[in-house]
Amino acid sequence: MDWHLLGLSFVMVFISELGDKSQLAAIALGGSSKSLRAVFLGTAAALLLASFLGVILGEGISHLLPMHWVKGIAAAGFTIMGLKLLLARKEVDEDSVEC
Amino acid sequence: MEHSLISRTSTATLEEALSPSSTELTASEPILTGFTTSPSLDSDSADVSPASQSRWTKAEPSAELKIFCSTFLTIFLAELGDKTQMATLLMTAESHQPWIVFAGAGSALVATSLIGVWLGCWLAKRVSTKTLEKSAGLLLLLVAAQLVWEVFHL
Repeated sequence: MDWHLLGLSFVMVFISELGDKSQLAAIALGGSSKSLRAVFLGTAAALLLASFLGVILGEGISHLLPMHWVKGIAAAGFTIMGLKLLLARKEVDEDSVEC
Repeated sequence: MEHSLISRTSTATLEEALSPSSTELTASEPILTGFTTSPSLDSDSADVSPASQSRWTKAEPSAELKIFCSTFLTIFLAELGDKTQMATLLMTAESHQPWIVFAGAGSALVATSLIGVWLGCWLAKRVSTKTLEKSAGLLLLLVAAQLVWEVFHL
């Protein structure tokens, strides 16, 4: 077991992901969603699968998929979720939350 | 007598089970509804005190699945071909030990997403729900803008 490599990859990815768009999305969704569990599992699973594909396919992924479309669809998804939160006109329950 | 009582209660629970889904459908479109208020909370808020429920598992299973799916899909598509993937790719190419790189990168990603979700919840306790929803909406639009920028500068 190469502990040095393990630690290096952990630190590198951890630092590069801090404050990155996926973490910003996790903050926004975690704060506004009704289920923290679903947001955490969804985020973690998506990130794990994305990095798994990165390891397996390597650079081939940018040739396999039209990246402009992939990013565009993701942007549309975030826009829809953001607008839904901004335009929401509903009774909000002031409740104490447990983290 | 006993039989009719049972059938009455069962139809009552059936109606209870059916009514939230119909209100949910009229309230918002079926896609990405995970971030609207859970229907069961609207109908049951009188007898169930929301304070006793944990935020971790507040939504009912169908709503939870929707939240999971919308979160998963958007973040997965956003992260494909991202700099984290490039970093893991480079380290794999250098070390020829993809599983160790994946273990390190994977645990880091789980850690950052856990921190993100926890930070969101921590903020939710300190900011009013309305302010939080507006800022969360703006934050998601910012992420979308970042992605659009990436599309044109790839």
